[in-house]
Amino acid sequence: MKLSFFTLSVALRHLRYGVGQSLLTIGVVAISVLLIVYLRTTIGGTQRSIVGNVTGSIPHIVLEPAERTPVGAWRLPAGPGAPLYVGETVNLPRGIDSIDDWRQWLPALEADPEITVVSPVATGNAFLFRGARRESVRATGVLAERHDRIVSVEENLLEGNFLQMVTGDVVIGTRLARDFGIRMRDKLRLIGPGGQALSVTVAGIYETGSGQLDDGQVFLTLRDAQSLLELGSAISSIGVRIRDFYQAEVTARALAVSMPFRARSWIEDNPNVFRTLGAQDQTINMVLISTIVAAGFGIASILIMSVTGKYREIGILKAMGATPVEIQSIFVVEGFLLALLGCAVGIPAGIGMLEMLSNVRAPGPGGRLTPVFNIQIDPWLLAGAAGVAITVGVVAAFFPARRAGGIDPMQVIRGS
Amino acid sequence: MQRTGNGPPVIELAGVSKTYVSAGVETPVLFDVSFRVNCGEFVAIVGGSGSGKTTLLNIMGLLDRPSAGKVHIAGDEVGNLDELGRAGMRRDRLGFIFQFHYLLPEFDVLENALMPCRIKGPAFQAGQERRMRDLLDLVGLGDKLKNRPAQLSGGQQQRVAVVRSLANNPALVLADEPTGNLDTRSGRVVFDLMRTLARESGTTFVMVTHDDDFALEADRVIRIRDGRIEDSARTIQP
Repeated sequence: MKLSFFTLSVALRHLRYGVGQSLLTIGVVAISVLLIVYLRTTIGGTQRSIVGNVTGSIPHIVLEPAERTPVGAWRLPAGPGAPLYVGETVNLPRGIDSIDDWRQWLPALEADPEITVVSPVATGNAFLFRGARRESVRATGVLAERHDRIVSVEENLLEGNFLQMVTGDVVIGTRLARDFGIRMRDKLRLIGPGGQALSVTVAGIYETGSGQLDDGQVFLTLRDAQSLLELGSAISSIGVRIRDFYQAEVTARALAVSMPFRARSWIEDNPNVFRTLGAQDQTINMVLISTIVAAGFGIASILIMSVTGKYREIGILKAMGATPVEIQSIFVVEGFLLALLGCAVGIPAGIGMLEMLSNVRAPGPGGRLTPVFNIQIDPWLLAGAAGVAITVGVVAAFFPARRAGGIDPMQVIRGS
Repeated sequence: MQRTGNGPPVIELAGVSKTYVSAGVETPVLFDVSFRVNCGEFVAIVGGSGSGKTTLLNIMGLLDRPSAGKVHIAGDEVGNLDELGRAGMRRDRLGFIFQFHYLLPEFDVLENALMPCRIKGPAFQAGQERRMRDLLDLVGLGDKLKNRPAQLSGGQQQRVAVVRSLANNPALVLADEPTGNLDTRSGRVVFDLMRTLARESGTTFVMVTHDDDFALEADRVIRIRDGRIEDSARTIQP
């Protein structure tokens, strides 16, 4: 490849002279780039929304008490030189597994650069009483400020508050409130699995749009939940939010190795969501690869036609001293410029379409107008789309360019 | 400008032979050809169809390699040059005129004439532009500098090709039947221009032609027959 005044000026003139063909090819490349930017962004946004909806109401990773699997004494290494094991016979309690020493693990979890939020949770089934009516609910005790960064309750409140929740307060979902005819400041009674009773006041009603959360969930303070569920100072799990929720499996595995917990990722709990998203990704990638290959063929075909049509001119240029590399460079530069101009048209067009799409709004939960599409234009995607298109342009140009470089001027002069 | 037919040799061929091999069949075309062309000479190579004159010109123009023998251009032996070296030699020392003009349709008349300079680089092109404008003016195309080749007649296109052959200040211009594709009148105009430009610039010309009238107006005629030089005679100029 040799870039010079000669190769650049001849390549530019070829493109300008065949402006109709050039514009068509630029159009094909532009559409390919536009499709990459548009589809990847909208599909990516939709996937983020789906995953966001799934993970919006649950932690990315839940750390639970590790399952204790006893090892038979006969399995321990024995014989001369083997370590000596000392133990005692204990009866493992059945019931709610809990994490007693959770406070000592919090600093280590918070220091992990991948982890953004750590929230201790005491959760268990309970009955909610209002007068004679009874409903089975999930009582979840949290430190409100921490947990709100995992499940957005505060911003979805219809009434009251969540972050200022104190002992004796509960915050409930709108469906539960509606079904039970509960209003703000109503007095309720919760009965835990061990019969422990707790009188509470409704301090907030929220609507997240997630049925699971809006229907059977009752939030209360961590201390109240520990009391209701008879956990003492223990908790039942630690909720974790991480930077990249797609990395939940990897982070969960790492945590399970370094800490005495069972780490369950949201992906493990929702395998179908992840599989569906993966299949969607593959389909979109196939479409995009086909589009970009079609653009490559477009560039290759225009340059093959160009080389065939300019057989004599190429011959005379070589007779005048142009080297094979210079001749090849002319056509590679043409492929590069066609792809570059295609990107220059396709990327702004893609951004424009996405901007228009991001302004489309519709009523969401609570009647608020929210964007229909989750559009986040990623500069790396734009750079990647341009990179792919330009690489395809140059590769597509390479074969006609090689043919041009190999033209024998003597054959041209002979007229054959 | 002077005409220096007795100057140092611009090109010298010694024992040059050429045999083409195709599908195992050998076809000898040139046999032990030796001659030299001195600086400033205007030489015509004549011969019948298939006599080997175009092959000879291709070897002189480094577009083809001899099977045997040596070729010296401006004192340098060119047999050992690789493709890049041969391209460099063509770019710096040689000019070409072919039967067909082969002008580039995307470029105007002046740009076409400057094409060998464009290959050499922008600085060289800038230095030659004035001279090429003057030469195009001299051949009667001063008012058509911005025209595209398609807007010119066949004779005018070949005149541009003649001017183009001088763009890189070559030591030697090789012309292969430059009037062969033109009518008699246009052919005469182009030939006269070549003679004039050769005389004006002092450039050495070797022209392959089958037109005896033009050949007789050259300084010297090399007659070639069946791949061998039959006669190399100095003509008597009027």
